[in-house]
Amino acid sequence: MSKIQEVKEKVEIGKTKLIPGLVQEALDEGNTPGEILQAMVDSMSVVGEKFSSGEIFVPEMLIAAKAMSKGVDVLRPLMAGDTATSLGTCIIGTVAGDLHDIGKNLVSMMIESAGFTIVDLGVDVPAERFVAAVKENENVTLVACSGLLTTTMPALKEAVQTIKASGLDVKVIVGGAPVTPAYAAEIGADGFAPDAGSAAVKAKELVV
Amino acid sequence: MLTKRQNLMETIKGGNPDRFVNQYEFMNLIMEAPLGEMAGPGQTIKNGWGITFSWPADQLGGFPVHDEEHKVLKDITNWKNQVKAPAVATSDEAWAAAVAHANAVDRSEEFVTAFVAPGIFEMTHHLMSMEDALMALYEEPEDMHDLIDYLVEYELAYAKELINRIHPDCIFHHDDWGSQRSSFVSPEMFAEFFLPAYKKIYGFYKENGVELIVHHSDSYGANLIPFMIEMGIDIWQGVMTTNNVPELIEKYGKQIAFMGAIDSGVVDFPDWTPEIVAEYTEKACQECGKLYFIPNLTQGLNFSSFPGVYEETTKVIDRLSKEMF
Repeated sequence: MSKIQEVKEKVEIGKTKLIPGLVQEALDEGNTPGEILQAMVDSMSVVGEKFSSGEIFVPEMLIAAKAMSKGVDVLRPLMAGDTATSLGTCIIGTVAGDLHDIGKNLVSMMIESAGFTIVDLGVDVPAERFVAAVKENENVTLVACSGLLTTTMPALKEAVQTIKASGLDVKVIVGGAPVTPAYAAEIGADGFAPDAGSAAVKAKELVV
Repeated sequence: MLTKRQNLMETIKGGNPDRFVNQYEFMNLIMEAPLGEMAGPGQTIKNGWGITFSWPADQLGGFPVHDEEHKVLKDITNWKNQVKAPAVATSDEAWAAAVAHANAVDRSEEFVTAFVAPGIFEMTHHLMSMEDALMALYEEPEDMHDLIDYLVEYELAYAKELINRIHPDCIFHHDDWGSQRSSFVSPEMFAEFFLPAYKKIYGFYKENGVELIVHHSDSYGANLIPFMIEMGIDIWQGVMTTNNVPELIEKYGKQIAFMGAIDSGVVDFPDWTPEIVAEYTEKACQECGKLYFIPNLTQGLNFSSFPGVYEETTKVIDRLSKEMF
């Protein structure tokens, strides 16, 4: 088996301790950093699909994302300035009045694994803060807003509509337990995802 | 007319209830027991384990704080130095209010019910954050087993005191095991780490006179039901509609009863109306039927987040009892 194939397989099953060595060996075999990164992104797509279908659970997704990030640590010094593989920057946060962060963190990890640079604004983020973050950061292509409570659905709507009204050229994806595709469309979001695995797929779809 | 207690037993044993068990009516909850500090609205507290909880006044509940400064367990491999259980309260004074309350309950009518929270799974992530706890199950399983054993020992010490003091008929035990769509961990991982823990805990309660174990998890959890049965749960409270409750009743009703099926999220919000409550409560009662099922908001205590919703639900269930029984 080629080393790059091994990297791919081991990321998928979250072998965090093995990945840095394997990535180095894949480089030594002559693979470019971009090829290795793409192999890991592909692994995480498989992980996302398996999570969405209920084949794997949150711990498996977390360790796979951690394994990938260990691999990225090896590649990063070799890829400085290389934006060819990046899908741009994603601003992510849980909307005003809502303190839930676990789902948002999972989505953040999966979107990062798909090839985005993540700027995480945390929880209880006012609508204007999303807009400011788009302006403050370079190459923002996507804003991801999370809302976990029926009571914070109005704040989700406000966030989406404030971002859209700003005229900035970004896509907006929303999610969270009470959010439905119909509600996402009604408030003007460009995309909706029911879980972290599908969020990564949808995010990519929206910006490519 | 059956007492609340008799009606509950008829319902969960597949007998002849004369009405729906109406939400938490069969539990007389002894909330005065010295369970440990909990944050109320607008408060930030540090509990006996050193876990900081914050409940901003405008939120529906409190959250453990997990920044680097506040996280209690920063390195699972060093848990023995970083996690110190508080002492279980054993003085007469600490238990006086709970004992007085329990003594005042007519046990032929209601179950003297001890409330126990957080659960073992919740304790692991309260100590170290959800992400760290879930990854540690993979990366440092031996330490996680040891930590869980330590948490179980603490709960058993508390359980011993609780039993000696108030002789509960029923334990209402919280531990959220999933999101609305999925269990947090796979059934295999649950069986490895949490099934043995709860077999010890619920086994101990049952060996010491507790008749009924009611477990709260307002989540998906259909894939964990065989383990719930094995660990001794009599009633799963908080069962969400995402589980397909009628199907679960059909499949497992003779072994475990289901309490919930009215998702709090869809009825308990600022603009709720009696019509919305009636719609979802009627749907739950009609679809789930009269046996092995207790209509109830999925919320983990006998109130709602927004005033009036719990009481309105009770009213609708009373009406449906008259219509359907």
